[in-house]
Amino acid sequence: MKVLLISNFNIQNLAQLLSNDAREPLATVETAEFGRGVDALSIPGMTADFAFVWTLADRAVPSFNRLLNGERGDDGQLRDEVHGFAERVGAGASRFRALLLASWVLPPYCRRRSITDLQTGRAKNALMRMNLQLAEEIASFRGVHLLDAQEWVGAGGRQGFSPKLWYLTKTPFTSAVFEEAVRDIKAGISGLLGRSKKLIVLDLDNTLWGGIVGDCGWQNVRVGGHDYVGEAFADFQRSLKLLSNNGVLLAVASKNEEAVALEAIHLHPEMVLKAQDFAAWRINWKDKAANISELAEELNIGLQSIVFIDDNPIERARVRESLPEVYVPEWPTDPTSFASYVLQMPCFDMPYSTEEDRLRTSSYSSEKVRERLRQTFNSQDQWLLSLDTQVTVENLNAVNLPRFVQLFNKTNQMSLTTRRMTDVQVLQWSEKHNARFWTFRVKDRCGDSGLTGIVGIEINGNRARISDFILSCRVMGRNIERAMLAVTVEYCRSRGLHDLTATYIPTAKNKPCLDFWLTSGFTFDSATQSFRWTLDKPYPFPRGIKLTSLADGQSPPPEWEWAVRSSAEKLQDNGAETSQF
Amino acid sequence: MGVETIDPAKQDPRGTPEQFEEAVRIIYAAIAQLNPQLPKEQQLQPSPDTALYGSEGKLDSLGVANLIVIMEPTLEERYGFKIDLTQDDPFSLGNGHFRNIHSLATYILDLVLLHTGTGS
Repeated sequence: MKVLLISNFNIQNLAQLLSNDAREPLATVETAEFGRGVDALSIPGMTADFAFVWTLADRAVPSFNRLLNGERGDDGQLRDEVHGFAERVGAGASRFRALLLASWVLPPYCRRRSITDLQTGRAKNALMRMNLQLAEEIASFRGVHLLDAQEWVGAGGRQGFSPKLWYLTKTPFTSAVFEEAVRDIKAGISGLLGRSKKLIVLDLDNTLWGGIVGDCGWQNVRVGGHDYVGEAFADFQRSLKLLSNNGVLLAVASKNEEAVALEAIHLHPEMVLKAQDFAAWRINWKDKAANISELAEELNIGLQSIVFIDDNPIERARVRESLPEVYVPEWPTDPTSFASYVLQMPCFDMPYSTEEDRLRTSSYSSEKVRERLRQTFNSQDQWLLSLDTQVTVENLNAVNLPRFVQLFNKTNQMSLTTRRMTDVQVLQWSEKHNARFWTFRVKDRCGDSGLTGIVGIEINGNRARISDFILSCRVMGRNIERAMLAVTVEYCRSRGLHDLTATYIPTAKNKPCLDFWLTSGFTFDSATQSFRWTLDKPYPFPRGIKLTSLADGQSPPPEWEWAVRSSAEKLQDNGAETSQF
Repeated sequence: MGVETIDPAKQDPRGTPEQFEEAVRIIYAAIAQLNPQLPKEQQLQPSPDTALYGSEGKLDSLGVANLIVIMEPTLEERYGFKIDLTQDDPFSLGNGHFRNIHSLATYILDLVLLHTGTGS
């Protein structure tokens, strides 16, 4: 992975720290010509996977420099210069998978403290407004992400600036600041690559609450109340809830009697996390590594996406040894550190937060309801019919793009080619005249799974090729796959195309995708791992699934009339119509 | 009449052996902090003969500046006064103070002994 650093100061020290940093993802680092600043983004041939831009505000915005010198400011000119800067960043960002931009901080060599600092017309006041304007303006550019450089400067403290280093080398910050920047750059890129952690598995005693519930009873575990340790545990639970609201699942692996532990969760009046906040649990006396493996299988999450938190160093060591893919951080011994420690962990960084993220835990609860329902039927078909599944097809649009990109980059098992693309690359690809992307939203009587399917096709002459076939594991095996193929085939038939092909690209994890395609009815060529459907015939639409719209707003074919919801049903749903882009 | 130049890299260590060793340890600790900011091929080994700057050294001027900035706070804390490692033009290849770890430790102790009134 190549990262290009662009700056208007000497950024060589940061470049070396980033290059030498052993945390994933590893980076080869180049720096743009010294002092060019954002103008370097317009130099032809200046490309990399990612770009990181960090400028000193007094050198990037002349009006701000005048304010620093105590001169009177012109607000309009200041806004224009910030706008121009944002425009140059936005224009240059398209040649990278993503561009990370550092916010402006007060130049350390210009720092003074005064009672007038935040008055209108003063430099610090202007700097705050400049950063807000920058944040608003770059929000309109895909693939540009603003990082808070003030966090790095604050963490560096008094050690963050050396006047001698500045005057000798024009390096405004020491490694105390640059190391914090490296942490956030790596965390941001990791999130953009879809590598952020998805699940936290938690111990209970002395991790989620103070005390051992089996010894002291639920009434005496320390959580909340007027006890400073209890308050610390309650805040730790709030921190976990915050992560959960941003799409990280929570689960429990605890050595306890299940009934005793659940009683504490249900009954303790100060318990912040409730049973419904956990996607699953294993509360028993078994080995925790084995329990974590079972949780991973139940929730269909790879071990590399799991973080295990336990106060007991022996348990941590055991899990590290047995499950090296699971991330097991060293955990502080002082519970007053827990809340801040988990929020500072960079492994949960995600560039977008979607509605699907917020509802992720409840979707696992819905899955349990579906599973219980399945047990009551004699056949798979009867169960599927009972779910009353509805599928909504939409073109890729600005609203569903964040969730699209998230699903595109995170799905492993049901992914035909396992292509990975940033939002910028997705948009560029979709704007080709012969390419299409569709999304598939799924809901049934047990719950709403949200946007869980993607099909991408490319048309050349009278032939179409499926470039991407992706389905969230949460809805696998419920005939959504066949519905996606049926919609795709019908679209191609409506365009008068001759055949539709798809090529399977194997990875370590996507064999379930091959297994489906081998039963899809498409003709398989084992030599090329390709599948083919001649478009003189329709693809049978699976029973038990209803479509609420079709690709590109087409009318459904007659044989699908039973699959499309009636107007009356749509009215009952109070505006479930989806808009086409 | 020519002026005799003394090559600091070849001088006898200053101060007592213990004082010299302590100065060398301070330099080693600074190198450990410096290495993450250096390309892998420039990273330095903790050895008295390790070349720092000059014809045989791996450091460029940025590396020397970084080393100075890392060392000075530690030297001040240890010896109780501000030590300015730039006062004798560290980037001059002529004076040789930063030629290797031995010469740097010698230079530091020169400054310390001068400050305490026991140096020449």
